[in-house]
Amino acid sequence: MNRLRRFFRTPEAIAGALILTLLVAMALAAPLLFPGDPQAIAGPALLPPFQDWSLPLGTDRLGRDVLAELFHGARTSLAVGLAAAAAALLIGAVVGTLAGFAGGLVDEVLMRVTDAFQTVPSFLLALAFVSIVGPSLGVVVVAIALGAWTGPARLARAEVLSIRERDYVAGARVIGMHPIAIAFREVLPNALPPVLALSSVIVAAAILTEAALSFLGLGDPNRVTWGGMIAEGRTVLRTAPFLSIAPGVALVLTVLGVYLAGEGVVESTAVRRSLS
Amino acid sequence: MSELTISRRGLLAGSALLLASTALPTIGLAQTPKKGGRLVLAADSEPRNLNPAIVASNGVFFISSKIVETLAEASFDGKDGLEPRLALSWEGAADGLSVTFKLRDGVKWHDGKPFTSADVAFSALQIWKPLQNLGRTVFKDLQAVDTPDDLTAVFKFAKPTPFQLIRNALPALSSVVPKHVYEVGKIEDNPANNAPVGTGPFKFAEYKAGQYYRLTRNDAYWGKDEPYLDEIVYQVLPDRTSAAAALEAEEIQLAAFSAVPLADLDRISKVPGLKVITKGYEGLTYQLVVEINHRRKELSDLKVRQAIAHAIDKDFVVKTIFLGYAATATGPVPKNDPQFYTADVPTYPFDVAKANALLDEAGYKRADDGKRFALKLLPAPYFNETKQFGDYLRQALAAIGIDAEIVNNDSAAHIKAVYTDHAFDLAVGPPVFRGDPAISTTILVQSGIPDGVPFSNQGGYKNPDLDALIAKASETLDSAARTELYKEFQKKVAADLPLINVAEWSFISVASDKVGNIANNPRWAVSSWADTYLES
Repeated sequence: MNRLRRFFRTPEAIAGALILTLLVAMALAAPLLFPGDPQAIAGPALLPPFQDWSLPLGTDRLGRDVLAELFHGARTSLAVGLAAAAAALLIGAVVGTLAGFAGGLVDEVLMRVTDAFQTVPSFLLALAFVSIVGPSLGVVVVAIALGAWTGPARLARAEVLSIRERDYVAGARVIGMHPIAIAFREVLPNALPPVLALSSVIVAAAILTEAALSFLGLGDPNRVTWGGMIAEGRTVLRTAPFLSIAPGVALVLTVLGVYLAGEGVVESTAVRRSLS
Repeated sequence: MSELTISRRGLLAGSALLLASTALPTIGLAQTPKKGGRLVLAADSEPRNLNPAIVASNGVFFISSKIVETLAEASFDGKDGLEPRLALSWEGAADGLSVTFKLRDGVKWHDGKPFTSADVAFSALQIWKPLQNLGRTVFKDLQAVDTPDDLTAVFKFAKPTPFQLIRNALPALSSVVPKHVYEVGKIEDNPANNAPVGTGPFKFAEYKAGQYYRLTRNDAYWGKDEPYLDEIVYQVLPDRTSAAAALEAEEIQLAAFSAVPLADLDRISKVPGLKVITKGYEGLTYQLVVEINHRRKELSDLKVRQAIAHAIDKDFVVKTIFLGYAATATGPVPKNDPQFYTADVPTYPFDVAKANALLDEAGYKRADDGKRFALKLLPAPYFNETKQFGDYLRQALAAIGIDAEIVNNDSAAHIKAVYTDHAFDLAVGPPVFRGDPAISTTILVQSGIPDGVPFSNQGGYKNPDLDALIAKASETLDSAARTELYKEFQKKVAADLPLINVAEWSFISVASDKVGNIANNPRWAVSSWADTYLES
């Protein structure tokens, strides 16, 4: 309770939480409010917004409902953002823990691999991966995670390096626990909080990367994505700018919301740490 | 107060000006073309090989047709739709074994050497027949080219070849390149492929990758007073939205090949000083086609193919995707073809209920989730319209219980997936009709084509009746009988649906009012532009 109150002390955090709640609500409500395929043709093409109240935000080049596409797009963006961040954190935590806990040659090898991944711009890596394997939702998630796991890995390693010298780790060794079990059952859970603080940055970056991939035509074509909507709207930018503006604004708000909420979490934990 | 006074003289002068301005366009047409000036236009692709004798494609012609000329060019009112270029006349023998070309006198290559029948013989035998993408089929029986004198070339065929086909092939397939440049070394590696030498009204000057191609006036051109322009500059603008902006900013004076997106045309037609022109592409009709992989059990059933044809609302496609700048298709020959088209074919009006009934009849009942079966759909990535039609087709198929999954690829991967690996169930393709079904249309239906030949029947379709018909037409010499056979071909294709023709479209040019003599032949964008001029 205390922690929640601390979180809600800053207006940024409140704004972020509000936006995120709204977004999650949009994503969850999409199949209820707009059942069926959001890419179905619902009306005349290029209907401007606020003309017909059954299609409040108008329609796109083929006559698809823009509002329905926005709602379903929120699902894709959030799903990809969260899944990619979860995958990146998982890979990063495992690699970081192994490297930090094992030390020696294993550490060297794993960290050099991490360095190698870090030197390649993550967007290029995603672009190359998707264009080789072929665009689908799973591939996009993996592609984004491939470029995002290095940060969590380095952070996890640094944490593990300090934790592995603690007494309770030595105790676990003495009672004969398997080193792998010590690493993942005793060390990792304690190394995790600072790594998790990275998650908001990773989620926001993942959402942006997904949008950029879709914009370039490398998203899953069978799903509505905001990036894909912007790309399609771009050809009619001069005559129907709203088709690009609406998903663009949604994207900006989402990334902003995730950042602000993440900031709020970091600040509230920072306050707690300084208090303790 | 002074600004409000209206003098009679001022009023008269003003109304005279007004009168003159309404009369100006007609005066402009009657005006003799002005000499000089530089025409700057948008180019959306940068072909590396600019030799139109090897790569007969519109992207290459767009630039090189001004440099390298063909034997004849398409024409709105010439005999058989042709007008002389390097050849003055052409005549086919009654037995179909030879065609005689009389060539133009006094034509010089850009390097000063004279143009002779030896150049025609060399181009035909060494390039069109063995190397050219389209010439390989049309000139497959070409055995020799006799050159009794410098201005006569006689094409000799091993098997009777319809003169009608050779005639129809002239505008696109007969680019003549200089023998003295190409006879040294390997033709494919000749430097002139990237800096072509021809007889045309313009010479190749320079190419800066990612920036522009520049052509300059050929002062020794054979056409009287031609060409009028001093220079043509192709500004490379790969982004389609930027062409419209460049036109409005007067950075370019012409955007051909629909470089301006269809959705922008309405707005741009209202910009003063710019005009939207839909003519000048009659000889370059693209067809929107659903390619079908007949190896799939469901799709090898005619009823399923008929159901898909009934599920597509062609009027919607023309109105919404092409914004009216297209026509609905009935079969494999486009409606605007004056020689071969017939409307007397089975048609498939938009009827979802009938489509559903056909699928039920074929034994593909809807499962509990409303779906009958799933398909992979590969829309060709070359045009916005083919991609949008892919999105539409997915919805149209969903309405009849077919669950289509779209697979997007880039150009190279799409060609490999469809034409080499056959990794598709349905594909959306834009084949081109080139004035004769034997040039690039029958190949879409014919069986026995090796894997990997792009824009051909790679769907595993095999129909002995159609194959026999195509073979018979390819050796029928009489034009009328041959035309009848191709009408039969259209009927059979529309009845058996080896592929589904949805729409036919051409391109749109947007040009500054200053550009004169635009769209004056059916292949204008890929013709020589010797008579194009700029008003000052």
